[in-house]
Amino acid sequence: MVVGDVTTGTEVLVIGAGPGGYVAAIRAAQRGLDTTLVERDAYGGVCLNRGCIPSKAYITATDVAHEAATAEEMGIHADPAVDMAAMRDWKDGVVDRLTGGVEKLCKANGVDLVEGTARFTGENTVRVEHGGEGQGSETVEFERCIVSTGSRPIQLPGFDFADDPVLSSADALDLDTVPDRLVVVGAGYIGMELSTVFAKLGTDVTVVEMLSDVLPGYEDDVARVVRTKAENLGVGFNFGEGASGWRDSADGGIVVTTETEDGEESSYAADAVLVAVGRRPVTDTLDLENAGLEPNEDGFLETDDRTRTERDHIHAVGDVAGEPMLAHKASAEGIVAAEVAAGEPAALDHQAIPAAVFTDPEIATVGLTQAEAEEEGFTPAVGQMPFNASGRALTTGHTDGFVRVVADEESGFVLGGQIVGPEASELVAELALAIEMGATLSDVASTIHTHPTLAEAVMEAAENAMGEAIHTLNR
Amino acid sequence: MTIREFKLPDVGEGVAEGELVQWLVEPGDAVSEDQPVAEVETDKALVEIPSSYDGTVKELRAEEGEMVPVGDVIITFEVAEEAEEPEAAGESEAEEATEAEATESEATEAEATEAETTTPGERVFAPPSTRRLARELDVDLQSVAGSGPGGRVTDADVRAAAEAGTERRTAESPEPRSVTFGSGTPAVSRREPDEPTVSRREPDEPTVSRREAGDRTARAVERVAEERASSRAAGRERTLATPATRRVAEELDVDIDDVPTEKTREGEPFVTAAMVHDYAESQRAAAETATEVEAEVGSVSEARAAEAPAETLAPEETVEATGGESGPVPGDRVPYRGVRRSIGEHMQRSKAEIPHAVHYDGVDVTDLVRLRERLRPIAANRGVKLTYMPFVLKAVASALREHPYMNASLDEDAEEIVLHDEYNVGVATATDAGLMVPVVRDVDEKGLVEIAAELNDKVERTRERTIGREEMQGGTFTVTNVGVVGGEYASPIVNHPEVGILAMGAIEKRPTVVDDDVVARHTLPLSLAIDHRVVDGAVAAEFTNHLKSSLSTPERLLLE
Ligand SMILES: Cc1cc2nc3c(=O)[nH]c(=O)nc-3n(C[C@H](O)[C@H](O)[C@H](O)COP(=O)(O)OP(=O)(O)OC[C@H]3O[C@@H](n4cnc5c(N)ncnc54)[C@H](O)[C@@H]3O)c2cc1C
Repeated sequence: MVVGDVTTGTEVLVIGAGPGGYVAAIRAAQRGLDTTLVERDAYGGVCLNRGCIPSKAYITATDVAHEAATAEEMGIHADPAVDMAAMRDWKDGVVDRLTGGVEKLCKANGVDLVEGTARFTGENTVRVEHGGEGQGSETVEFERCIVSTGSRPIQLPGFDFADDPVLSSADALDLDTVPDRLVVVGAGYIGMELSTVFAKLGTDVTVVEMLSDVLPGYEDDVARVVRTKAENLGVGFNFGEGASGWRDSADGGIVVTTETEDGEESSYAADAVLVAVGRRPVTDTLDLENAGLEPNEDGFLETDDRTRTERDHIHAVGDVAGEPMLAHKASAEGIVAAEVAAGEPAALDHQAIPAAVFTDPEIATVGLTQAEAEEEGFTPAVGQMPFNASGRALTTGHTDGFVRVVADEESGFVLGGQIVGPEASELVAELALAIEMGATLSDVASTIHTHPTLAEAVMEAAENAMGEAIHTLNR
Repeated sequence: MTIREFKLPDVGEGVAEGELVQWLVEPGDAVSEDQPVAEVETDKALVEIPSSYDGTVKELRAEEGEMVPVGDVIITFEVAEEAEEPEAAGESEAEEATEAEATESEATEAEATEAETTTPGERVFAPPSTRRLARELDVDLQSVAGSGPGGRVTDADVRAAAEAGTERRTAESPEPRSVTFGSGTPAVSRREPDEPTVSRREPDEPTVSRREAGDRTARAVERVAEERASSRAAGRERTLATPATRRVAEELDVDIDDVPTEKTREGEPFVTAAMVHDYAESQRAAAETATEVEAEVGSVSEARAAEAPAETLAPEETVEATGGESGPVPGDRVPYRGVRRSIGEHMQRSKAEIPHAVHYDGVDVTDLVRLRERLRPIAANRGVKLTYMPFVLKAVASALREHPYMNASLDEDAEEIVLHDEYNVGVATATDAGLMVPVVRDVDEKGLVEIAAELNDKVERTRERTIGREEMQGGTFTVTNVGVVGGEYASPIVNHPEVGILAMGAIEKRPTVVDDDVVARHTLPLSLAIDHRVVDGAVAAEFTNHLKSSLSTPERLLLE
C-alpha cells in the first residue's frame, strides 16, 4: 500500500491494459525497455472482460444449444435446458483464465504493473491514483508514453446504463437470467451479435435501427444473408426508427418508445433494452491538456504511421487512436508503438485490417470490395464460391453465404475478400495473408487445400475469378 | 497580365542562401528588366538582384533580414501577357523540365515491371517482412522494380535498391527523402548498410607484437589511410546546402565544403544534413582510429583533411563589427551570419589548425618617407594616389622570392608543401560588414604606380562591396595595415592556407639610435605571423630582415 506521493521513473509508460496496451508493454519489455503498465480496472481491457471474449463465449454456448435443438434434419431431437447462471460462470472462468494469463505474461516479461488511474500532470509525468480510500497516489515520470485507454459504449439520451432495465453490452454479457423480451437499439455488429445470442436463448428480440438496414458498412448481399437468418431466428427489425425513451409498464416490464424522422412514434413492450449504438474513445480519464494534447472532433487521438501523437514521445494505440475499433488493430498498433519506442523502424504499413462479425452466419472481410477496388483505379477480377456448392458446408448443415475474392485483373494480385458463412472469421485469415504477401489469384488457386474443408471455398473463389473454377460456373 | 515568380538566383558564391538585406522596390512599383530590386548579402559579398522582367511588382515574398535559400521565390511581378520569357526564368523552367524528364525516363528505365508493381493507389506489392526491410535500409518501395511474380517486390530487390541507393537518390530526388522519424525518436542509423562502418576494425587482425616493426608501421598507416578514405574531406570551393544543413554543420563543427557528396543541384555540389552527420561521424571515427594506431605504433603522422582553396579573408582581430545608423544597439542579440560568420569561421579554422609564431621587429623608414614624398606628385600626375602600401607589397614580393617557403601552402592531405610560383599579396581591408581581403596578383611583375592604382581601385570597390569574389581569391601572402587605425604591434592570424601574414604598425617618428645618438626617425613596426608547421622562427626573422633592408633602402625596390 502506498500512502502519499512517491515518484518513480520509467522508460516506457503504458496506460491501459487492453489488447493495445498489454501487447505494447510486453513488446517494449522484450526490447529491453524499462516498462510500466497502468490499469485502473481489469487486465485485458474491454476485449477480454466485456467484449470479444465474453461475447464469443456466449455466441458459442448458445450455438451449441441452438444446434442441438434444430438438428431434426440430422435425426437429432433435443430440447436443451440452459442454465444461464452456469453459462455465466463458465464464461467468467474463460475470462479469468485469459486475464490471469495477461498479468502473468506481463510479469514474466518484466513489465511493472501498477493499478490505478493515470492522469497526465506534465509532458513527461503522470499521477497514478490508486483505487480505493487511502490507497494514495504516485507520480510516474516517463520518457515515452503509450496511451491505450480504449473506448466505452455511447449512452443514448433517455437511456441511463445505471438503470436496471437499460443494458450496455457489458451488462448484457453478465446476465444470470434470460430476459423474455429484449429490445436492442442499434443493428451494428455488437447489436447483431447479441441479438443473435438472445434469440437463440429463446428471447423475443426486437431490433430498432435508425438506418435502413443491418450492419451498415457491409455490402448488401453480405448483410442480407445475416439479416434473413436473424429473421428466421425470430428477430424483428424496425428500421428508420430511433429509440427516444423508455418507461416502466404495468406488467412489470418496460415500454421502449421510438420515433421516425417524421415524428411517427412506436412503442415496444420488453423486459430490458440493450443499447448498442457505438463506442466512444476514452480520453477524459487522462487530463490530456497537461501533456499538451487534445483529442480531435471525434474524440480520437490522432497519430502518424508510427503511432505517434502530436507529441512525438507520446503514442496512442487501439480504440483511442481511431477506427476501426478492433482488438487486433489495437495489438498491431501496440507492437509498432513499442518497437518505435525502442528505436526500430517499425511502422503501420499493413495493406488491410480484417474484420469479423460473429453473427449467424459469420461475416468476415479484408481489403477492398469490388467497388472500392474500382474506386482506387483497379480493374477488378471477382470470383465467388457459394457455400451451398461446398461439400464440407453441406455436411455441417450451414450452407448460407459465399466466399468472394477481389483481385487486380492485370497482375492477379489479391486485393480483398468478403466471406459470409460458416467459420468466415477463420477463413478470412488466408485472404489476409494473401493480400499482405502480394499473392496472386493463381498463388491461392494453386495452393493445395485440404478436402473436405470450408477453406476450399477460398481456393474455388480464386479459381472462379480466373475463370477456371471446377465446382462453380465461371463467369 | 500574368504573374511571374522570381526566384533568388544563384548569386555566384557557392552558397545556398543569402540574407535579404534590403528591398529596393515596393509592391506597385513599375520595374524594367535588369533594374535592381533587392540587395542580398551572401557569405562573401553584397549583391544587387536585378529583375528579369518588365512589369509591376506584385508581392514581396521575403522580409528584410530574412535568410533566403537560392531558388526560393522572393518576389512576384505582373507582366504583360505577351512578354517573352526572360532568359533566367526560361532557363530555370527548362531545368525543371529536364529534371522532370530525367525522373520520368528513370521511371521508364525501371521497366515495365515497375508499372505493374505500382498499381493504382500507389500500392506496392511486397510481403510485410520485405516492407520492413525496406524501412531498415531506407529504401523507398515505390521506386523499386519488383522481380517477383507480377512484379512483386522481394527482399533481394530491396537489397539491390539499397546498394544502388546513393546514385539513385542523387538522380531522382534532390531533396533528402522525407524521413518520418521525429525528433524524439531514438536515432535509427540511416547509413547505407553496405557503407563500411568507419570505426570497424578487422577482428582477426594479428597482434602487432608478432610482426616486424616496419611492417607494423606500414600496416597501421594503411589502416589509417583506409579509414580516412571514408572520412576524407572533399575540400570544395562551393557547396550548396540549406540553412538548416549549414546549422547542423556548424553544430558538428564540420566545414560544409569538406563533406563528400555526389549529389548536385543546378550543377553544384549539394550537401544534406544526413551527409553532414555521416561525415562528422566518420571524422570522429577516423580520429579515434588514428589515436589507436598511434598508440600502437608510436608515430604515424596525422594525415589531415585536404585544405580548402584559398579563402579571401584575412586574419585580424581588430575588425569592426557591422555598423550602421539604424544598426543594433547595446542589449540586442545580433545574428551571427553572413560576412561576420564567414570571417569568424575562417579565423577559427586558421587558429585551430595553424600553430602560429609571431616575429616582431621595426625598421627605420626615414628614406622611404622621403622617397614617397618625391614620387607622390609624379604619381598624382598620373592620377594615382601613392601610399606606403605599394612599397611594402614590393618589399614583400621580393622577400617571398628569397624565401619560397613563406610563399607556400601546406597540403595536409597529400602531405606536401606547395611552393607557389605566383606572388599574389592580399591586403586586409576593413569594410562596414567586416574584414575583406582583395588580392593584388603578380606583385613581383608590376611597377609601384601600377600596384598603387590597382590597389586603390580594389580597396575602394571592396569598401563599396562591389568587388568580385575572384578578386579576393588566390592570395599567397597577406599584409594588414593595423597602423592606419593605430598601434604598433599585433598578433595577426595567418590567412589559411597561406603561411605568413605581415602586420604593419603606424609609420611615426620614434626615438631611434643613430651613430650612438638617440634621434627622432620615422620607423615602421613589423609583426610577422607564420605557420610554424611550414617554416621556423629563423625563416621568419630572415624574411623580416629582407623586408627591413628593402624598406630602409627603398631605392632597391625600384630595381625590383
Ligand atoms: C461486446 C463487444 C464485442 C467486441 N467484439 C470484438 C471482436 O469480436 N473482435 C474485435 O476485434 N474487437 C471486438 N470488440 C472491440 C474490442 O474490445 C476493442 O477494440 C479493444 O478492446 C480495444 O482495445 P484497447 O486496448 O484499445 O482498449 P480497451 O480494451 O478498451 O482497454 C482500455 C483499458 O484502459 C483502461 N484505462 C482507461 N483509462 C485509464 C487511465 N486513465 N488509467 C489507467 N487505465 C485506464 C481501461 O480500464 C481499459 O481496461 C468488441 C467490443 C465489445 C464491447
